[in-house]
This record gives sequence, C-alpha cells and structure tokens, in this order.
Amino acid sequence: MAFILLPLIELMTAPSFAMLKETIKDKDVVRSIWLSIYTAGLAALISFVFGTPLAYVLARTDFRGKKLVESIIDLPIVIPHPVVGIAILSVAGKNHWIGELFNQVGIRIMGSVTGIVVVLTFVGMPFYINAVKNGFESISPRLEKVSRSLGASMFSTFFRITFPLAWRSMLVGIVMCSARAISEFGAVVIVAYHPMIAPVLIYERFEAYGLKYSQPVAVWLVFICLTLFLILRILTLHDREKA
Amino acid sequence: MKRKDVLRSVVMLLSCTIVMLLSTSAIAGPSGKLTMFHAGSLSVPLAAMEKAFEAKYPGVDLQREPAGSQKCARKITDVGKPCDIMASADYKVIDKLLIPGYADWNIRFATNQLVLCYTDKSAYADKVNVDNWYEILQKKDVVWGHSDPNLDPCGYRSLMVIQLAEKALKKPGLYKKLLANRPKENVRPKSVELISLLQTGNMDYAWEYLSVAVQHGLKYIVLPDEINLGNYKYDNVYKQAFVEVTGKKPGTHMIIKGKSCTYGVTMIKEAPNPEAAMAFLEYMLDPEGGLKILKEMGQPPFIPCRVPTAEMKKALPEALQKLVEVKD
Repeated sequence: MAFILLPLIELMTAPSFAMLKETIKDKDVVRSIWLSIYTAGLAALISFVFGTPLAYVLARTDFRGKKLVESIIDLPIVIPHPVVGIAILSVAGKNHWIGELFNQVGIRIMGSVTGIVVVLTFVGMPFYINAVKNGFESISPRLEKVSRSLGASMFSTFFRITFPLAWRSMLVGIVMCSARAISEFGAVVIVAYHPMIAPVLIYERFEAYGLKYSQPVAVWLVFICLTLFLILRILTLHDREKA
Repeated sequence: MKRKDVLRSVVMLLSCTIVMLLSTSAIAGPSGKLTMFHAGSLSVPLAAMEKAFEAKYPGVDLQREPAGSQKCARKITDVGKPCDIMASADYKVIDKLLIPGYADWNIRFATNQLVLCYTDKSAYADKVNVDNWYEILQKKDVVWGHSDPNLDPCGYRSLMVIQLAEKALKKPGLYKKLLANRPKENVRPKSVELISLLQTGNMDYAWEYLSVAVQHGLKYIVLPDEINLGNYKYDNVYKQAFVEVTGKKPGTHMIIKGKSCTYGVTMIKEAPNPEAAMAFLEYMLDPEGGLKILKEMGQPPFIPCRVPTAEMKKALPEALQKLVEVKD
C-alpha cells in the first residue's frame, strides 16, 4: 500500500495550489484531459459491444484452439506499447491494402481521434473480455437451461437471465478497460502526437519545460480519474446493497 | 574425492585469472573507462567507431552518453559529471559553454544538412525534384511533416530551411502557404519517428538530417547550400531565418536564429582518462578511421578537420596537430 501511495502522494503534493489553478485554466490541458476521457470511454463502449458476445462464447463453449484464441486476446497486454503503435501504423499506411482502403474512404488513423480510439480499444479490450468472461463463467449454465426449457428464446434468456446476473462484471470490465486506455502512452504517441491526449501532453510538457510544468497536469489527470472510478465503484456497491 | 575436485577447479580458476591479469597488463597503452558525451545525431556513426576502436584497444571501454548538445554541455558545466570527450552537433556550443573553463580547443570535424526525405511509394515520388519540391508540398493530397520545433532542433531547422527557400526562390508567402498544408497532426516529437511514418506509407515527405536519410536508406532531395543549413560559410544567410519556440514555461517564447549544422569535438580539461581520450580522438579524426565511417553514414566530414586559428592549433595535443588544418 505504501509502495503505491508514497510516489503518488509526493506527486499530488508537489505542485502548489496556484500552479494547479493556473494549469486547469490552460485550454490545452482541459482539452487533452477531456480527449483522454472520451476516447477511453469510446474504447470501453466498443469493447462492450464487440467484446461481450466474444466473452460469452468463450465462457460457454469449448472448442479446439480455444486456448489459442484466449492467448491471442491476451496478446495486447504483453506486447510492448510502442510495438502496438507501430503495428497499427503499418496496417494503416498506404503500403497496406487496408490502409489504402481507409485512405480512399477518407478515414485517417495517423494523428486522428479515430487512431487514438483504435489504439485504446486494442490495448483495453483484453481487460474487458477477461473480466466479463469470468463473470459469465460464474453464472451457472443451468439457470440458462431452465429458462430455455421454459420456452424463452436464446436472446431473451440472455437479456432476462444472464445479463442481469453479469452486468456487474461488465461494469468492472468497462472500468478496467477504460482505466487501461486512459493510462496508455507508448502506443498513442506513435500513432497520434497531435491531437494530444493527457499522457502525451504530460510527456510534451516534461520534455519541453521540465518536471515542474508536467506535474500539475498529471495531478489533474490522476484526480479526475480517481473521482470517475470512485463514482463507478460507489454506483456498483450501492446496487449490491439494495439487492 | 569431491573436495579434491573442488580444490583442483579453484586452483585452475585462480591460475587462469592470474594469466589473464598478466596478459592485460603486458599490453601497454590506453585502458579503462572512457566517457564521451555526444549529440544524439552522432549515435549511429559513433557506435560503429566504438566497435572498431575497442577492437583496436581491447583494454578501453568507451561509454557513450547521447543527448542534445546543449544538455551534454550542461552535464559538464552545471552537473559536473566526469567526461573525457564531448562532441556537439553545433560547434558553437563548445565555444560558448566549454571554452575557456572546461576545454581549450574545438575541432570542427563534420557537417550535416537538412534534406527532404521520401520513399518510392510517396505521392509524386516519380516527379519530385530540387526545382519543384515546394510545389509538391503544397498539394492537398500530399502528407508531409517535420519534428516538433519545441523539442527537437531538427524541427526548427526544417522550418528555417523553408524560410530560407522562400528568400532564395524569391517567392514571398511560400512559408505560410507550405505550412498551411501541414496539419498539426503531422508534427512528431523527434525527427527519427517520422521515418517509420514514411516507411509505413502514413506520410509522403519528411524533413530529416542527411545522415539520418542515408542511415535509413531513404530517398532524399538535396537542396542548395544557401538553403540547406549545411555550409557554415553561409551562416550570415542562415541567421536571417528564425523560429519561435516555447520558452522556459508554458505560454512564453524565445527566438532561435538559423545557423549551420557543423559538428565540433573537444577533450575536457579535467578528463579522467586523457590517455584513452587521445587514442580515441586520433582514431576518430583520422581520414582512414572515424572520418571514413562518418562519410559512409552521410555525415560529410572535413578532411582534414578544421580549427579556426593558428593559436588553437598550437594548443592542440601534438598527436592531433597533424590531423587538422587552420581554416576559418
């Protein structure tokens, strides 16, 4: 606990109150923190839409090569971040047919919000899938079978039985996924330096002006993220007490 | 039995060590740790030189610390870090920050220049040349970029080259028109990062140092001397170009004026290992040694290397005097 808290407390207390106030008035700072939050949110949303069915399939079925599929899903966690950025860029470039296709329909990955969301989804998705898969696995398939045997369709079984039981793990998955996405730096800085998300801005401030001017931005990011996650946790806890 | 084996191996190990110690001490000459601070853009050629030099003098361990040239100098003057040799991407940094307190002389040994890089997949790659590059960079379907002027000297130098081109070509407004076709997203922290964007087809053209272009096997356009920041004889022309970069805190700015990319090297007065430093400098400034490597890697060396005055030549260690000429 002290190991986590000590450097963070040091960071939080280093900048003066005046500095913090000045920093949050800086439009670049506000814009980058907002961009960070909303790209991470989008990444979590995409993970929710595409990751949930995949997690369900992985939790409920057994097939040859399942271990391989699961390892592939975990890959983005272990690959060094800059490598992720380079990999995405090499697909997005004109030298690759997908990049050429994107180019023709006018989608730009390099230096765009689209690119940032792609990267954040790439690194965040595994956390979502793993959390939700665990959630599904903890629900007994018997409940679903009973529902089916009573005549409910597969969809209504999912929405009336599985979803109400698993939504908490989905929320955890979304928190994990967006938390991972907000903290991403290495891959984003390769795909998009501008527009700047908060970690990139912190890096730029550190390189150009030094520690003194990067710290307040970092403090604000930590503070805002902490508040957001706290709210999410309280929401889930609140419901649990009611239930 | 077992104990005997152990004893035997210990004795063998000891004798081996003794033989090794004797043999190293038997080779007279430079040995030990040799510290060199140098500009980041020298990393590739110096790595090659290090290999060749350490093969020649196995007793010496050259430890290089690449950083921005200013930062290198500050590490010596402000931080007081021990250092034997300092090589700067801007020879004036040595003149300004190290002489006379920390060094006595400054040898100019190589140049560099800005070039416009592209690949054979870049848009208009078959048409671009030294006469029309500025027209191509204005085309809407061309993606070009440079590094961040606030973080990387190559960034503000790229902007200076365009300013100088506007003057040399007598096309008022060219700088503005070109930058209008370069969205902010095409600016990257370090120039080397632009290369991967070129190679993956995410970018068509990028400004780089000639050395970087050669080391990465890119295609490039060489611009005339009065534009390319490569010839210090044009410093009077270069200084007409200026770029505003961020100052010491957000919201403040300072102006940087154009000057040539001329590399300088010196030995620090308080060098902890002067013997090895001399051996390395002799190798590095030798037209058949280090200078040859520089040439192969696209950093045109001065052959022979140059010092500005006869007095400075006299101040050089004797072994180096034969490797330089006096030339302003």
